[in-house]
Amino acid sequence: MATAPAEVSRARATTASLRLSVLQFLADPQWLVPSMIAPVIFGIVSFELFRGAGPYYLTYAILGAGMMSMWGQTLYGSGWATGQDREFGTLEPTIQAPTPYLYVVLGRIVWNVVAGLFGGLIVYGVVVLAAGGPPALPDPVAFVLLFLFVMATLAVVGVVFAAAYVYTRYAGFIQNIGEFAFYVGTGCMFPVVLLPFWTNPIALIFPPTWALDALRYLSIPGYQGFSWGWEWDLVGAAVTTAIYVGIAGTIFHRVERHVLEDGTLSEY
Amino acid sequence: MADMPAIEVRQLTRRFDSRKGFLFGEVVRTEALRGIDLTVENGAMFGLLGPNGAGKTTLVKILATLLLPTSGTARVLGHDVVTETDWLRPRMGLVLGGERGLYNRVSGRENLRYFADLYGIPTSERESRIREVLERVDLASAADRRVEEYSRGMKQKLHLARGILHRPQILFLDEPTIGLDPKSARETRKLVRSLLQDGVTILLTTHYMFEAEELCPEIAVLSRGRIVAYDTVEALRHRIGGDRTIEVEAYGFEDREISVLRELPGVSHVASEEYGPRTRLTLRLRTDETTPRQVSASIEGHPELSVKERRTSLEDVYLDLVEEEAT
Repeated sequence: MATAPAEVSRARATTASLRLSVLQFLADPQWLVPSMIAPVIFGIVSFELFRGAGPYYLTYAILGAGMMSMWGQTLYGSGWATGQDREFGTLEPTIQAPTPYLYVVLGRIVWNVVAGLFGGLIVYGVVVLAAGGPPALPDPVAFVLLFLFVMATLAVVGVVFAAAYVYTRYAGFIQNIGEFAFYVGTGCMFPVVLLPFWTNPIALIFPPTWALDALRYLSIPGYQGFSWGWEWDLVGAAVTTAIYVGIAGTIFHRVERHVLEDGTLSEY
Repeated sequence: MADMPAIEVRQLTRRFDSRKGFLFGEVVRTEALRGIDLTVENGAMFGLLGPNGAGKTTLVKILATLLLPTSGTARVLGHDVVTETDWLRPRMGLVLGGERGLYNRVSGRENLRYFADLYGIPTSERESRIREVLERVDLASAADRRVEEYSRGMKQKLHLARGILHRPQILFLDEPTIGLDPKSARETRKLVRSLLQDGVTILLTTHYMFEAEELCPEIAVLSRGRIVAYDTVEALRHRIGGDRTIEVEAYGFEDREISVLRELPGVSHVASEEYGPRTRLTLRLRTDETTPRQVSASIEGHPELSVKERRTSLEDVYLDLVEEEAT
């Protein structure tokens, strides 16, 4: 019966993980709340919050609520999926499979990005419906491209967060504590420059802070973000994203080694 | 490579440190494995027995590359379990069993598809391979039902199907029949035997002595992280006191009577066990010199005495060994 082992394809493992994420999403009605109902609520709240705040309030509202919705899906969801692996007891067989776990996490993140974009679209629809028309965007193409880039920066932080869930069963607890601070600190709802100055260096550790500032610069005329302007925002976003990709590429191997030493892989 | 043992373990230890209380609590150290030496030949079925907490699962997890040893070496199929995991993982199967370890919201077939992809089973073969293992574990009719609707036994079968899906050269089965009804347990044992016929090396841990006796020509008994016995079932029977066991039951025995029984010819070991108002003395016999009749005669006059002879079972051997280790 025993045969020579098959060649493991990382892309196939990522696709399999993506497929499983979709199936689990469809099978579990609890996901409808964060992915479909929450964006509607965020959209209405954000619209009411920014109404009357200048001529570009609609863009502020869409970005604020859209980021809030996508933040939950893309960043939080990616780590949480690994936490679920711990809870289900599937982390051990998945780690024991020959594909590096990073490629399983990537599949989940791809799905979370798609689900996050879907949430963003719902927010857009709700705000446009409430306002009676779409917002004025100086450069819609740049807006869409930067929007996707922001998603990518959120996703890359999500990979590192997922590693934390492999490292310890307490990652969820730590993430819950930091959830609101991270959300506000990276400028998801309000520009980071509105926060006390001492928070800025911490916020700049995270790629989404830079990417979001650039997105606001390019979609809201007269926007006053970081004084260095959107070009350096993009450079900062690209550099911090590259650093996170580098961390993600090495962290899983180290984390796996650590949990195998500690014997905590099956704890939940 | 073919001459190399499937499993070779030398002076293996594993220690766990855990903290009592929160943050600054005292560190509690547990020695889960204390100097294990073990060799399992290629194509063999090897049984690992031991009470709860003996270290069976710890040993299996180390061999399956899910845990690092504290010291010592472990090689599977000639490769080191610490440094050569990339080579080993596609070639080994692990069945930990239990209620956990499966994606409950999706079907059994989808669970297998996912792991087939992680193991790189060729796409052209994937569906036929899944069908084959589902039929082999008798789960084909429930393959498209969600795992959360499965019974404990069905989940156990799915675990087994996943473990053999990629056709491993070596399979680690950690209590594969625990929680199964007798019919399912028998079918599982039948399947395990058929895997052995296919040339798969199997390391089986179990609580059930009859299972080990039925399946494993060679066994090791693990107690408190040490191997306390390691041989064929027959040799262990002989070591502990031969093939024969005489059980003597009554409403209590005097110490004098127990001493008399100990002195009977061929008696190697006498164990005493209370159950309810009655006491059972179990005599292991190395020779045929002492018969049940002679046992009765030696404590003649004892009321309500029952004496019967039976073959020494692996359970007897196991209990004696674990008791010996504990004392």
